[in-house]
Amino acid sequence: MRIISRKRLAVAALLVGAALGANAQSAKQYEVTKPIKIEWWHALESQYAPLVERVVADFERQNPLIDVEAIYQGSYKDLNEKLIAAHAAGVTLPAVTVANTPYIAEYGASGVCEVLDPYIKATKFDLGDFGSGLKVASSYGGKQVSLPFLISTQIMFYNKDMAKAEKIKLPETWAEMDSFMQKASRVSGGVTERYATVIPGWDQWYFETFFLNNGIAIVNKDGETTDLGAPAAIAVASKLKQWCDSKYAYWAYGKDASSVMRQNFIEGKAFSVIHTTSLYNMYATNCDFEVGMHYLPGAKTRDSEIGGCVLLIPRKNSQEVKNAAWKLLSYLTGKDVNMLWARETGYMPTRNSVTRTSEGKAFLAEKPAFKAVFDNLDHINPRIQHTAYTALSKIWMQELAKVIIEGGDVAQAMRKASILIDEALQD
Amino acid sequence: MRERDTTVEGTGRRASPRVRRERFKDFLCVAPALAFFAVFVYYPLVDLFRIGFTNWNLIRDEYKYVGLKNYKWLFKGSGLDTWLASLKVTFSYTFWEIVITLVGGILLAALFNREGRVFAAMRSIVFMPKYIAISTSAIVFMWILNDQYGFLNYVLGAFGVGPVAWLNSERTALTSVLILTGWRVVGYGMMIYLSAMKGISRDYYEAAELDGAGALKRFRHITLPLLSPTTLFLFVTTFIASMKVFQSIDVMTAGGPYESTNVMVYWIYDLAFVQFRVDRAAVVASVFFVILLAFTAATMKISNKSVHYDS
Repeated sequence: MRIISRKRLAVAALLVGAALGANAQSAKQYEVTKPIKIEWWHALESQYAPLVERVVADFERQNPLIDVEAIYQGSYKDLNEKLIAAHAAGVTLPAVTVANTPYIAEYGASGVCEVLDPYIKATKFDLGDFGSGLKVASSYGGKQVSLPFLISTQIMFYNKDMAKAEKIKLPETWAEMDSFMQKASRVSGGVTERYATVIPGWDQWYFETFFLNNGIAIVNKDGETTDLGAPAAIAVASKLKQWCDSKYAYWAYGKDASSVMRQNFIEGKAFSVIHTTSLYNMYATNCDFEVGMHYLPGAKTRDSEIGGCVLLIPRKNSQEVKNAAWKLLSYLTGKDVNMLWARETGYMPTRNSVTRTSEGKAFLAEKPAFKAVFDNLDHINPRIQHTAYTALSKIWMQELAKVIIEGGDVAQAMRKASILIDEALQD
Repeated sequence: MRERDTTVEGTGRRASPRVRRERFKDFLCVAPALAFFAVFVYYPLVDLFRIGFTNWNLIRDEYKYVGLKNYKWLFKGSGLDTWLASLKVTFSYTFWEIVITLVGGILLAALFNREGRVFAAMRSIVFMPKYIAISTSAIVFMWILNDQYGFLNYVLGAFGVGPVAWLNSERTALTSVLILTGWRVVGYGMMIYLSAMKGISRDYYEAAELDGAGALKRFRHITLPLLSPTTLFLFVTTFIASMKVFQSIDVMTAGGPYESTNVMVYWIYDLAFVQFRVDRAAVVASVFFVILLAFTAATMKISNKSVHYDS
């Protein structure tokens, strides 16, 4: 009996040793062994340049073999063009790049990104510290093809001073929106002096949450049809048009719509605007009143969606570059750096070890407006992933903007959009 | 196999080694340019047609040949309406750019075809916009044309007009882009016409004056006919350039609102880089290339009959 136990122990020890050895071996294969220079493409504008430089310098201090060149590549759209051109050519690829979350489906399906699961396993990267929604948003087909980086969600920014002075109650439900629109706007003789809110019509991400919360499937489970032509969707679209026709709200559309909307809010011409949480710092800095954040009203559900960007490693890089890239990727998404981004930009902390601990409380003390987001962390869902989503959103945005701004029959416009979207999804 | 012709031109005699060496040297002189064209013009062009027969999306490594599927999408499928709308917008934009360049250019040239510092300064001012990057001018014009904060609506408001949603209405968006275009190109047209006007012999005008022809008649019967080679040159170059308009559209309207400024090149870009349908973009680009080629050839042929050369 004693002999058997010893044998068993010896076998177990061997197995554990082999497993540890294998793990050490696999971790070793991702190590950086000689000096290397890598590029990191990002979309952080000039106001964030000092922060980017600080983070990169700190990383280089910790990883003396890796020299990082952080390159601003313009907007997410510009960056996407450059990335896919580099991918098609197979040269001049960055080691690490950010990507707007909607691109992940197409990148994942087309094999643009390196699958990160082996790296995560070998280096014991703490993926579990990200919320499940964030993990889904940064993966494709069950594989982790990127990691959450600068994450935001839709929010209603409002003028807190005005709300206090005029006792304006912010809408918690879709049904309360009518009274909110009337109370928060100032319309005199058919001319709007102050809009209750501004709805960004230049990007469907901002308004799709109204449809989702009303139980409308933007892409049905079959992946080939939409419910945007259904009566429930027409009802939501009609309501949006009604508020705009009544001049309580306006539909911000066009290339300069975002800057005009911001200006309206800053100048007090709009009581509130629907925008991304990532712009909190911009609003807080530029407004001469207190800026509040209010979670968007709900209907059947009260959810919002993940926005912002993820970090990925282009697959066509050499293993040497990928190893250095993984070091940078794990550093940039680490807890400490993540808090730095959250404090100095308007992006949200992404790690549970921050959001659900005393660090989260400290962050809220610094930026109390973020309570609206922290209270709803479990309701922030990944965006819809579909390779035809870009085509879908373009059709939807155009048809909705046209009927709201130029006039026309909402039902007809939504049905037309739905037919075109079905075609795009099935294509 | 056909043998290479090594004879001396027109004689039938075999070229001497010296002549052949000279010919080889000539070939070497043009070889770099030929290589450049082969790699950067002809190869991409051939490849463009090839991609149109595939289902490649630019980022996938693998693709297959799908025959005429993309052409069917363009001519019989959901692409047809957008293609026709885009063609209409492109031709409309081109028509107005040509009108502005030719009519505006010739009128300004007639006005500024005088000596003196003031006229030289005015010519420079009118021509200057051509030197400013389109993207920079487009951003400035976006501010000028902004419906809420724009300078133009501010001025119009003083006269009780507006506000006009210049860039955000399908009725005015193309006109707004054309305002920028006109501001940029009219000076170029003027300069080309001016240099051509300087080349017209004074003798014609003096003879006409002796015959009692007034200024308008001299312009109609001497200046205009003798400027026809310049007009042809400006027409063809402006036609090709304006059919390929992209930058101002990209910066100012992104093809909107509701595709009212969705010119052909912008649509090709959108298909390839936004919708990841490079296969369809290749088909649209191929067809567009053929249209441009046909129009240019037809223009050259028709114009050759009505162009007057002062020889």
